[in-house]
Amino acid sequence: MKALSLQLRSPSIGLQWTATILGPLVAFALFLLISDANPIELYQIMVGSVIGDWYGIGEVVIKSTPFLLTALAAALPAKAGMINVGGEGQLALGALVATWSAVYLLSDMPGAVGLPLMALFGALGGALWAGIAGLLKTRGNMNETITTLLMNYIAYFTIGFFCQGILKDPASFNWPFSPPVAEQLRLPTFSMTSRAHVGIFIAIAVALLVWYIIYHTRLGFRIRTVGGNAEAARQAGINVKAIQLGVLVAAGAIAGLAGMIEIAGVEERLRPTTGVTYGYLGFLASWMAWNHPLRLVATAFVIGTISVAGNSMEMNSGLPASSVQILMALVLFALLIMGRRNKT
Amino acid sequence: MIVDLLTGTVRAGTAVLYASLGELIAERAGVVNLGTEGSMLSGALGAFVVTAWTGNPWMGALAGGICGAMMSFIHAFLVITRNANQLASGLTVMFFAMGVTAFFGRGYVQTQINGFEPWAVPLLSDIPFIGRIIFHHDPLTYISFILVPALWYFLFKTRRGIILRATGEREDAVYANGLSPKFIRYLAVLAGGFLAGIGGAQLSIAYTHTWVENMTQGKGIVAVALVIFAAWRPMRAMLGAYLFGGAQALQLIVQQQGYEVSPYLLLMVPYVLTLVALFIVERRRVSRVPEALSGVFTGSGGG
Repeated sequence: MKALSLQLRSPSIGLQWTATILGPLVAFALFLLISDANPIELYQIMVGSVIGDWYGIGEVVIKSTPFLLTALAAALPAKAGMINVGGEGQLALGALVATWSAVYLLSDMPGAVGLPLMALFGALGGALWAGIAGLLKTRGNMNETITTLLMNYIAYFTIGFFCQGILKDPASFNWPFSPPVAEQLRLPTFSMTSRAHVGIFIAIAVALLVWYIIYHTRLGFRIRTVGGNAEAARQAGINVKAIQLGVLVAAGAIAGLAGMIEIAGVEERLRPTTGVTYGYLGFLASWMAWNHPLRLVATAFVIGTISVAGNSMEMNSGLPASSVQILMALVLFALLIMGRRNKT
Repeated sequence: MIVDLLTGTVRAGTAVLYASLGELIAERAGVVNLGTEGSMLSGALGAFVVTAWTGNPWMGALAGGICGAMMSFIHAFLVITRNANQLASGLTVMFFAMGVTAFFGRGYVQTQINGFEPWAVPLLSDIPFIGRIIFHHDPLTYISFILVPALWYFLFKTRRGIILRATGEREDAVYANGLSPKFIRYLAVLAGGFLAGIGGAQLSIAYTHTWVENMTQGKGIVAVALVIFAAWRPMRAMLGAYLFGGAQALQLIVQQQGYEVSPYLLLMVPYVLTLVALFIVERRRVSRVPEALSGVFTGSGGG
């Protein structure tokens, strides 16, 4: 019976995958048609922009880096049964503190010293921000889903406050952004033909570290025990609250690092829009990968690829940036409709 | 000035109130809908566009409600029929709505409309102090005054209300009565989306008379938080919404008075206040979460 049902099922799974991949593309093509754009031409441009040359591949790598880190910031707490939807705010605060340190403390230091310190400040900023949500959870019994979400909005206004206030570039007239960080505090690039910087190696290293800790250390075992059954973990003598606070702080540090990498690798100065939507997309990348720290490397790249392809579509068709969001949402809808077979 | 503040509180709080009531209905049936933010946004745009076309804000409000319900239908389909993760689905709906409204709203940013105007209730608005605060508003605000007790009555005093609550607490009991919990959840999520859409409509065609990209700025998320603050009770949701509205009104007054405070700091206050309010109620008790919701917030609900 079982073998039979498996046999009957396998073609339908293939069909489902085909529908999941083609569905959003067809739906988006219809959307492009009603917007007076040529979908076939645009799809060609989009594919060309991500695999056409080294520059495009470099762009995908750059874009995927923050998604990878914010996805990890969702995945690590998920292993302890916590939901961190605050990657958005944690990244922003990381970017803020990293920029602040770069402008005021590290501007005269050589990069070899300054960059690691700047990364540390970024991680610290994200960790503190997530730590507030962690304390509200462990001390105040507040649900972290709601607190991390609300704090994203508070973070957004905090960044605006600093960009218009004490971190505002004096040379910027009325534009709300910080001064640029010093030349030696930019992440080195590793390729002559693209803008790709070393951030991706840092991100992958963090993913490996998180994976190793979760699956191959006693601490990881404790984290997974808390995630499996917090009450049983408590009975077994595990300090559940310390674990819950710890994973959130660590997740915040990872997202904060993403903020620092955005500043030092891409943006060069802090803007109110720095990293907006990266936290949410990272959360969704983590969800797509069953919160597995290595599988999410792949899903982060999928989201990064769609972003880059979407940007090139935007530039070539005159369609606004919001159409990228629509494409992204359609892809995610298709995945949500298909559902996930197994859960870890 | 106190009168101005309190009047502003009611005006600014109404949008969040509608969204909170909507989310409350959905959560009572066992569905958390972060897409409430998306329903509000699409309601705001839908109402604005139809008001601009027809010149009739009532048609606009209806359209806003329908747009909100359509957004929430996506969420309902994904989480009820396809059993998707409620948070992931809600966030995606929010995302989708942000994209769609920004896209289709491009041409309406400068448009002028004849939206709802405040209408003073005869006689009642002449009552000193209170008259100005309560009886000097747009029609959608008056409807929200009636909606709060009506929803309380529906949830706690009618058979249908009991069935709705049972869907979120004891699904089996609903089954045993020969009813489909899935169908009831669909209705609850759609009703919630409709109300959130009206809330968005209040924002665009009654409160501000403008359409701005992403104009809800997280009010739908705040509504979800306020439902927890309210312990799933309509009256307390009203209190929460006015707390949020009060902080917004204060911000406007401070700006009008010309104090030198960063607008970003003032914009932040309502969100901080929501967090603080939630902190205070959560410290006092372990709130009674509808049974079906407990899985969502601990990550074990849905695929």
